[in-house]
Amino acid sequence: MVERQLTISRGTKRSIVKALLSVVLTLAVTSVVFLINNVNPILAFIYMFQGAFGDINLASETMIRMTPILIVSLGLAVSFKCKIWNIGAEGQLYIGAMLGTIAAIGIGGGPLSLLAALVVGAVGGLLWAAGPALMKVKLGINEVITTFLMNFVGIYLVQWMISYPFRSPDTYFPESSAIPSSSALAVILPGTRLHLGVALALALVPLVYFLLERTTFGYKVKVVGENPEAARYGGMEIGKVIFVSLVFSGLLAGLAGITEVMGIQFRVRGSLSPGYGYTGIVVALLGNNNPIGVALASLFLAAIMNGSSTLAWTMNIPMGIVDLMQGLLFIFVLASEPLVRFLERRGVLKL
Amino acid sequence: MAITPLSSPFFEKREVNSTPQNEEYAIFLKNISKTFPNGTVANQDVTLGILRGEVHAILGENGAGKTTLMRIISGILKPDKGEIFIDGKPVKIRDPRDASRLGIGMVHQHFTLIPEFTVRENIALVLATSPWLDLKKVDEKIAAVSKDMGLEIDPESKIESLPVGKRQLVEILRLLCQDVRILILDEPTSVLTPIEVDSFFKMIMNLKSSGKTVVLITHKMKEALQISDRITVLRGGRVIRTIPTSDANEALLASLVVEGMLPAPTLVRGTPGDIILKVESLKVKDDRGRIAVDGLNLTVRSGEIVGIAGVAGNGQKELVEAITGLRKVESGAVKLLSQDITNKPTRFIIEKGISYIPEDRMHRGVVLTMGVHENLALKCIEKPPMSKSKIIDRRSMVKNAESLISKFSIKASDPCTSVENLSGGNIQKLIVARELSNGGLVLIAEQPTAGLDIKASEAVHQKLVELRSMGVGILLVSSDLDEIMKLSDRICVIFGGKIVGEFMPENLDVERLSRLMLGAD
Repeated sequence: MVERQLTISRGTKRSIVKALLSVVLTLAVTSVVFLINNVNPILAFIYMFQGAFGDINLASETMIRMTPILIVSLGLAVSFKCKIWNIGAEGQLYIGAMLGTIAAIGIGGGPLSLLAALVVGAVGGLLWAAGPALMKVKLGINEVITTFLMNFVGIYLVQWMISYPFRSPDTYFPESSAIPSSSALAVILPGTRLHLGVALALALVPLVYFLLERTTFGYKVKVVGENPEAARYGGMEIGKVIFVSLVFSGLLAGLAGITEVMGIQFRVRGSLSPGYGYTGIVVALLGNNNPIGVALASLFLAAIMNGSSTLAWTMNIPMGIVDLMQGLLFIFVLASEPLVRFLERRGVLKL
Repeated sequence: MAITPLSSPFFEKREVNSTPQNEEYAIFLKNISKTFPNGTVANQDVTLGILRGEVHAILGENGAGKTTLMRIISGILKPDKGEIFIDGKPVKIRDPRDASRLGIGMVHQHFTLIPEFTVRENIALVLATSPWLDLKKVDEKIAAVSKDMGLEIDPESKIESLPVGKRQLVEILRLLCQDVRILILDEPTSVLTPIEVDSFFKMIMNLKSSGKTVVLITHKMKEALQISDRITVLRGGRVIRTIPTSDANEALLASLVVEGMLPAPTLVRGTPGDIILKVESLKVKDDRGRIAVDGLNLTVRSGEIVGIAGVAGNGQKELVEAITGLRKVESGAVKLLSQDITNKPTRFIIEKGISYIPEDRMHRGVVLTMGVHENLALKCIEKPPMSKSKIIDRRSMVKNAESLISKFSIKASDPCTSVENLSGGNIQKLIVARELSNGGLVLIAEQPTAGLDIKASEAVHQKLVELRSMGVGILLVSSDLDEIMKLSDRICVIFGGKIVGEFMPENLDVERLSRLMLGAD
């Protein structure tokens, strides 16, 4: 019995090959771009790697970068597994960060405020996802459109809040007041900014894995995602499963937002997230909605983001390379299934 | 039922020199082998000649390799090994376009017409050779071919408005418009009613007399005997024998098709007890909002098999879905014992003891991408031992799967393998195993043996009979009259959403039953 669980199934092997293929193709096309710019691609990738993991400080910065991406994409993995496409994690993240910050400042310090801020932040993200979830379940409105549009509503709402009602009195920029220092997440590696949120994110990996693989909820998510007709026939309440999986992804998006505030930024700014909610989509797909795969994929994306800033000052490559690589990755992840099938037909790959 | 030989004696006596280069062969396959990536050997050293102008039946069980072989000829699959000769010349068929250039066309089990298009538009789609749509030319072609074949199809009618039998004719018409000489038909009669089958066979004879070669894939011996000139029996991917139909009979074919036939069970009638399921003046709408079940009354007793006989589309589907909670009941009532289960959630109805073997087993009955053990737990995942306080006990799931796999002899490489790796017959066994192990009061079996081979069908029938003897009430909905007559303790005929007649097996009048099914009485 134990052996059976340890062997990697054909499906898992296939998704690993698909992910690796997408990564290799992304690196290949990026290399071409480097070559066009007269940059040695091998050297560029070495600098990138060094920029991401070169020393303890850089490595911990990469881990910090990974944290919000990982938390968001773990939530998205659950909704994607249910074939519910939550494109609104970015807005849910901002709303969570805002509400959590208000709670932390409102309570004004102490261990209670730390916990309360985390909970309120997560619930904020959940509530922001609940609107589209209700519309999906009750009215059958496509969640791709509603969650996506709610991003703009959420982000602009937060920008208004930090410009007017919750604007910090002591700065010239539109930003919220700083959270009390007692509600900041503790640094766990002295001399770096590595905070408790990193540990929280990593702890969520086995928890989400357990949720998907070992609970009846995870089972129902899979059945509804793979074959809703069979789910109905099996007596499942499809609407409820869809609702819960969508708001769960909102919950983690909100948690990612408030964690970023409490660990790194300490106040809400308009630049809180450089698109973690969208990066999470690529990460969840690249990790094939498997928590372990998602963890590896989010580390990879974080490394690209941090490594490219080193690249920017060593080789004069603009930071836009991050968006290029992220975009390529997205395209190749989507193309990987037909690509693998093509290679199998040609007999190049045997899976 | 008597077998009327429609075939002419000409081909049966014909002596042929069986080399691939002989031009009398429309198709000659030499040593064709095909193994699928998952290790299934579909065809092994198949050598087979199909004579020009004959109707050639390929007979075999599900999984015997019939469809794979024909897909190789029509360019959808590539053989691992072997050669194909058309009119005595070796050819390479790389894709369906190659096949169509060589004059080969196939009608698949699942139709490939676009439902929203008209007949004319569907045919124009395959005739298009230039960017300009010349509908007039298409019409001329359709008219010419229809006249030759004696087909009556209005080119203006939309596919979705045509009954299944007509759609099949459109598929054939489309091939003929492409000047196909060799027609491959995959299980063509499985979607047809008995009357449609007769006219379909006449059409095949028309095709033959106009010089076309017809290859008919079937698992029904009666059909092969009735319509073909020669029969090739496939078993386990190999050619067992090719024989002229005049030399064949049902007993011989049966022994070739199946190894180790199960003895037909000596059927004892059930001993019905009290009424457990009662349907009272039930009204249910179909997907388009029209009344499909129209004031239907029905009872099922414990230990009784009630057969619902009827032509597909007379409210059977809606009746079953209403009982199982999958479709809203407009008025009337469904009662299980003394409890009203009308419009209750499916979950509630399952838990009260109604099991259901659905007709659409791939889309409703299983989740193809999930494991056998997970599919077997579909209806009991929330209950111990499968899960305790929402946490799944994987070990119990696997143990349950292992015991059901051996009890129902499901062929699966291991209990956790994806259901998509199983053959159609084994998927049905899995569903039957799950529904029978639920310990229900009532079982609704909807086309439980459609598409299954003789052995698998027999196994399902035996399970149903076994269940009846344990006191379960069974509602058997089937368009296979033989199945209904074999198993039922009472036969109800459904037409237009109503029960229009009831027979006990001892005073069954088949002719009257057929008339009732067609709404003639």
